[in-house]
Amino acid sequence: MSSGATAGRPLPGTRLLQARRAATAPVHLWRRSLRVRTVAVTVLLSTVALLVVGEVLSVSISGGLYKDRVHQVLGFSARADTAAQKVLGTATAFDPTTLGALQQNAIEQARTAAGTPTGLAWQSSPGQSGSVLPQAGIPGGVEAVISPDLKRAVENAPTGQHWQAVALPSGPGQVHPGVVVGEPLQVGGNQYELYLVYDLSDVQATLDFVQRTLLIGGAALLLLIGAVTTVVVSLVVRPIKEAALVSEELADGRLEQRIPERGEDVVATLARSFNRMADGLQRQITQLANLSRVQQRFVSDVSHELRTPLTTIRLASDVLYDGRRALDPPAARSAELLRDQVERFEALLGDLLEISRMDAQAADVAGEPTNLVELAREAIDALANLAEEMGTPVRLVTPGGHVEIEVDARRIARIVRNLLANAIEHGDGRPIVVTVDSSATAVGLGVRDHGAGMPQHHADRVFDRFWRADPSRQRRIGGTGLGLAISLEDALLHGGSLEVWSREGDGTNFVLTLPRSPDAPMIGRPVPIEPADALPSAAEAATHRPPTGRLPVVRR
Amino acid sequence: MSGRILVVDDDTALSEMIGIVLRTEGFDPVFCADGAKALGAFHGAKPDLVLLDLMLPGVDGIQVCREIRAESGVPVIMLTAKSDTTDVVLGLESGADDYVVKPFDPKELVARIRTRLRPVPAVAGSRLRIGDLVVDAAGHEVLRGETHIQLTPLEFDLLHTLAAKPHQVFTREMLLEQVWGYHYKADTRLVNVHVQRLRAKVEVDPENPKIVTTVRGVGYRAGAAV
Repeated sequence: MSSGATAGRPLPGTRLLQARRAATAPVHLWRRSLRVRTVAVTVLLSTVALLVVGEVLSVSISGGLYKDRVHQVLGFSARADTAAQKVLGTATAFDPTTLGALQQNAIEQARTAAGTPTGLAWQSSPGQSGSVLPQAGIPGGVEAVISPDLKRAVENAPTGQHWQAVALPSGPGQVHPGVVVGEPLQVGGNQYELYLVYDLSDVQATLDFVQRTLLIGGAALLLLIGAVTTVVVSLVVRPIKEAALVSEELADGRLEQRIPERGEDVVATLARSFNRMADGLQRQITQLANLSRVQQRFVSDVSHELRTPLTTIRLASDVLYDGRRALDPPAARSAELLRDQVERFEALLGDLLEISRMDAQAADVAGEPTNLVELAREAIDALANLAEEMGTPVRLVTPGGHVEIEVDARRIARIVRNLLANAIEHGDGRPIVVTVDSSATAVGLGVRDHGAGMPQHHADRVFDRFWRADPSRQRRIGGTGLGLAISLEDALLHGGSLEVWSREGDGTNFVLTLPRSPDAPMIGRPVPIEPADALPSAAEAATHRPPTGRLPVVRR
Repeated sequence: MSGRILVVDDDTALSEMIGIVLRTEGFDPVFCADGAKALGAFHGAKPDLVLLDLMLPGVDGIQVCREIRAESGVPVIMLTAKSDTTDVVLGLESGADDYVVKPFDPKELVARIRTRLRPVPAVAGSRLRIGDLVVDAAGHEVLRGETHIQLTPLEFDLLHTLAAKPHQVFTREMLLEQVWGYHYKADTRLVNVHVQRLRAKVEVDPENPKIVTTVRGVGYRAGAAV
């Protein structure tokens, strides 16, 4: 029993349990609440959509801003280039002193024309005379941000602008985005390089602002979407929830429950159809219940009404029977037959009344502490005469079951007597073993005969009312045909089971299993259905599931 | 043994048949088919015992039983078609001594009648003490001091049985056998109902019985003599 093993294992620490519960709570909520699920999915999908849109917006805005600024920067630097070139163009002598002054002048002109560069560098191309004129403005110097690639590109091209995005160190561990523009300048066969550095951190600031705005706007939008979804879903879910609650109540048998009908929309239509269905159901069920009540009442009344004339007949037949010696042989035999059949009729009436009470669920169980071993012994004593008549030895085996369980002793004793009488009837005089045993949850009683047994399709029907395996078989005990049906009902009334095992040529075994406590479910059977002394069966017979009269136990 | 028995039953065939059985056994049956006339028949016939059908037209059996009990302790045995709890208990509470469920065995009916008609086994001149009561078996009297307490024969039988063996605890089954004459497992409600009726008559405080005391889970015993 796997469930038993699990229950037996020590419980995990309560803290772990709480943690697990806390972890499973959202999962539980997710599974249980349609509203939570819908809102969550909507918000999630909206978040994804907003992220994508935000990213696209952000990228395109930053791209646009950057392009504009670079364009502007390039314009500035082109102007600076032109201004510097114009100064250099005025050169007449090319001695270093003149050139130096000229360069200084060109730089000044370039700086003025270049807008507001963060840094400026003026270099001679390699192999040229003249010096590098470094300009401050950036920590670490402008040269530090001029990459070899850019420098090579400027050196190798006589004209044109070259630019490159760079990171400008702006403080310890901090950088600003920037652009370096490099341009070659020609002075009388000498080539110089003008590098202008622009800080783009204002663009970054704008971009940051735009992104912040997008983020806040997106978050606000998400909240709004969440709120709107919640409201809308609530509007739609509430009628569904009401319908669900009402169907639960209907299912629990409160047939008069209905969904309130509001408005003309599809939900109202649902409510109306649902209510119409409930009306129909209620009508049908009430009608059926009435019919069944009338029918059971009728059976019960008939049984009661029959009792008075039956009493008269019984008295009359007994008087005739007692006086049969004075009658001639045919009349005397008639008196005997009359008495036997009246007795049988009476038993039948009693059983009919009992089963009609059970059908009407009017059977009451009067529980009292009862010992099944004692009950078995009493039943064996009560039927000792019959057993002797049939030459049947009856043995009581009690490995367990010496406990008192709370059952209706009258009903359980009736089951045991019934099973034993059946066993004697069908046992062909071979030994009968009555076994009583108990487990932690149940007490079992088995009645095993070694008679002819039954084929499967007969065993399947033994609990059916008025069913007889062989109508032509002569019965010694006048059974009513209701005995096993009543026994099964009695077992079920106690939350127990009554099952049968039978095999042709190997006898029959009936097993009654009763719970030790009416509130605790039974686990397993103390007395197995297949008897231990069963002959080894053919493979085909082994595959047979033991036929069973067991039904799901329904609490009434 | 002979005795006059009033049979109150609306089914004439059954009445006649019961009559045949009773006559065979040496009783003298008298019949009444109508609940409303039952009390008149009772006055007229002065029976030793009444067989009373519970289901009667006119006045029902329970009412008839109450009326008879109001003026007499004559044994009443109910004939009932129902073995349902409420009807039986209602019948017993209205004063019936015993009941037989239809359809019954004639021998069973006769046995029930004979038990109710048998005289209380009286040890000559014996006066038994139970609690503050004196039970005079010979004089069929129960006295508290000088006060005479009226009991039906069955109630007297029950009290006498307990008082005769003051040290013994009687189970309900023992009382069913000794007082009602059942030799097999019978309805213990008979005992419960009649003990209540007896207590109502003999106890000073029926809620706190001193004469017929309950032994929890076993049965009853006589209270100690004072």
